[in-house]
Amino acid sequence: MTSYIVRRLLWGVLLLIMVIFVTFLVYFLLPSTDPAILRAGRDASPSVIAAIRRDLGLNHSIIVQFWNYLTGIVFHLNFGYSYYYNDPVGGLILNRLPATLSLTVGAAILWVIVGIPIGIISAIKRRTFLDRASMGIALVFVSAPVFWLGLIALFLLANDIGRFHVFLGSGSYVGLTTNPWRWFQSLILPWMVLSATQCAIYARLVRGSLLQVMGEDYIRTARAKGLPERTVILKHGMRSAVGPLVTVLGLDIASLLGGAILTETVFSIPGIGRLQIDAIGHGDLTIIQGTVVIAAIFIIIANILVDIAYAFLDPRVRYE
Amino acid sequence: MSTPIRRRAIVAVGAMLAIAAAWFAFAASQSTSTATGASLKPALTGAGENLYNGKKGGTLTVYDSEDFLHLDPGESYFVLDYEVMFATQMPLFEYKPNNSTTLSPMLASGPAVISNGGKTVTVHIKPNVHFSPPVNRAVTTADVAYAIERGANPNVANPYFAPYFGDIVGAAKATGGPISGIVTPNSTTIIFHLTAPTADLLVNALSLPLSMPVPKSYAAPLDAKKPTQYGTSQEVFTGPYMLKSDATGKFLGIGYNPGKNAILVRNPNWNPSTDWQPAYLNQININIGGSSEVIGQQVLKGSDSVQNDTPTNTNVELAYTSYYNQLVAVPGSGDHYVALNNAHGILKNVNVRRALYAALDRAEMVKVAGGTIVGQVATHFITPGAAGYAQSGGDAGPKVPWNEHPSGDLALAQSYMKAAGYPSGKYTGSQVIKLVGSNNGNGPEQSAILKNAFTALGFNVHVANVDQSAMYGKYCGVVAAEIDACPEVGWQRDFADPQSILYVPFYGPAIVPTNNSNWGQVNDPAINAAMVKAADTVGSAASAAAWAKVDDMLVQQAVAIPWIFDTQPNIESANVRGINALWNVGSWDYAFTSLK
Repeated sequence: MTSYIVRRLLWGVLLLIMVIFVTFLVYFLLPSTDPAILRAGRDASPSVIAAIRRDLGLNHSIIVQFWNYLTGIVFHLNFGYSYYYNDPVGGLILNRLPATLSLTVGAAILWVIVGIPIGIISAIKRRTFLDRASMGIALVFVSAPVFWLGLIALFLLANDIGRFHVFLGSGSYVGLTTNPWRWFQSLILPWMVLSATQCAIYARLVRGSLLQVMGEDYIRTARAKGLPERTVILKHGMRSAVGPLVTVLGLDIASLLGGAILTETVFSIPGIGRLQIDAIGHGDLTIIQGTVVIAAIFIIIANILVDIAYAFLDPRVRYE
Repeated sequence: MSTPIRRRAIVAVGAMLAIAAAWFAFAASQSTSTATGASLKPALTGAGENLYNGKKGGTLTVYDSEDFLHLDPGESYFVLDYEVMFATQMPLFEYKPNNSTTLSPMLASGPAVISNGGKTVTVHIKPNVHFSPPVNRAVTTADVAYAIERGANPNVANPYFAPYFGDIVGAAKATGGPISGIVTPNSTTIIFHLTAPTADLLVNALSLPLSMPVPKSYAAPLDAKKPTQYGTSQEVFTGPYMLKSDATGKFLGIGYNPGKNAILVRNPNWNPSTDWQPAYLNQININIGGSSEVIGQQVLKGSDSVQNDTPTNTNVELAYTSYYNQLVAVPGSGDHYVALNNAHGILKNVNVRRALYAALDRAEMVKVAGGTIVGQVATHFITPGAAGYAQSGGDAGPKVPWNEHPSGDLALAQSYMKAAGYPSGKYTGSQVIKLVGSNNGNGPEQSAILKNAFTALGFNVHVANVDQSAMYGKYCGVVAAEIDACPEVGWQRDFADPQSILYVPFYGPAIVPTNNSNWGQVNDPAINAAMVKAADTVGSAASAAAWAKVDDMLVQQAVAIPWIFDTQPNIESANVRGINALWNVGSWDYAFTSLK
């Protein structure tokens, strides 16, 4: 097991270097503006642009710039410099991480505690009205774009522009340490919106997995032994059904930590997603690079954790 | 699946598709462009509005989906930055918000004195303006001199130093140190010695943030960093407001959180007797980020707030129909035009350019942009409100045939193609037109309209719509890219002098290989000579007439196709008495805005 984890970690590092290389290449290949010009602004003279290019190290060859970028990340956690914000990218990402973390973790808890029970009920009440209704609603939420869902939620339930003034609206987010109660209130609506789609996906996933598992021989044996149905489902059925769920959950959380762009934009939550979308709008490629690398780090770590979790959840899985 | 079930499924799917198609048809028939019709109610314009008699006190919330670029007066060159800069700092001169043509002394104690045949400018400043904490002392002209000198420091890299301050003696070789042509004989007098008689231009440029005083002892250590940290992490202020700061003047993380918010509070060292701005509000909270769609609704339905960025068409329409008194359409002091490559390919031919000018449906381009609420069809380059506008034809513009048909005239266009050597009235050569537009907003639609004009004249066109910054930085502003046409380049005047509108985008010798703002590479010797003559013309009226002549020549040569004089729609809450600065794209002036 230990050698497997070490092997996975080494592959993860290699993968990360490849991601950094690709995002770095994109920097040069995309039809975007010279960063020195972005920094210098309109009407800047060529000598000023040249001086800025020297200061930012943009006068070196691509290989040297990549090496500087890579060693900057590895040894100094230096993700480069934002030409738009005039700030180091690492600091900007770190500054936005708490908001994204708050949004993602809260939403994940919500979609797990709502989605899984709906999936279980739907599976055990198969072909009943309850099953059809919950799967129908799930289909609606799976199909609904988050951006649209967010706007609808605000126009219906926000305390400023909503039809019914129930929850705090867009732009109300404050940090957890600033005001915990307001932090919680401001995230209720975003959590609901972000988890709605995921909740629907998880409910359908659990239903499908559970239906498949419930037809297995060992479930029939468990029932024949007289175990209560609750134990059969939760202890024997769900233990097997939860495998694919863990895979998806890990990756979903990791990718959202890389930035829930649409939800953060609609609800004006200053997280990594909004940092990304603003950077795209301003052609600030160092931020785009930084956030992509951070997202890749989250996904690689999540992948490794999921693989390890598998070994604990499924006795059949053994890593040599 | 059995046959009856399959048939039922097909019928069901068919019915759903029919319903969807019917719904789309209905929705399409109901959708209308925002306020594009001729029956538009006259919008409030902001011109001539009463600036005073506001109620003192209160906190204004500003919703802004975009962040600032620079909060350092040496770097600031963006509408949103200007809103904060001009509320927190005092330049030597400034326009009042309802007047974009007459400069008023701000830090200066009176008008600038021009002498030596337009080669010397003397300015006296008020003696009792103080910096905010921790500097606290009175502002001197040495602070103004340093503010301008640091503009040449590569760590500050002021974007307009060369075109507007470049004629000061010694400025051409300046890198941030003292400039010999800036002299401060005492603490309230500053004298500028120029290499050319361009005093009028310099005086106008003294209304830009570069003339806002900066204390050297405080800023120099910050300016030594690459890039400067003055205005990024800390700063001192002279205006009625300041970014909320700690005792050291640090505002980063306190009064400004990038991408999150900014807080303007009263400057404790501001003396109302030194300033003509009333500064009614106690505090301005600027919320950065969010969806423009949501922000607009929050402002219209809420209180104490304004939307800083351009509202969406939906919200403009909502405001127009349901919150009319909360909608203001302000002349925007800018324009957009089609840049045509005057230096490369078929568009070097003046008659081909005239043909395209005549063929282009400029009215449709304005309609696509949002209609009359966002602008009017442009007929020349000097914008409404600037000196020389009336002399160069006013709204009608120069009277040339290709300028008289806003919706395009193909027959007329073909007559110019014939004059260009294409007897059929259509292009028969092999050049493929390279057209680069913006993929933001309605950019692709503008590109399509321009493409239609080209194809109507027989051209093959290759269209690439890219991000706006790439459009300028990688294509339209790069000479070697040899782009034939850019449909949506825009120019915002820096001040009411027409030189700030025409010089950079059309003066041949100002062309640079990259970051070029003369997008059409216009380098006509007669136009260049006329510009030099106009720049050296002393006296406002004579200067305006000289620049109007340049404007006329640009249209005569069809060097580019102006298509919209911008108007800025703004929305505010019902209890806000918003004042918009005509000179700054019609954006909010926090030092005049108040709550009802």
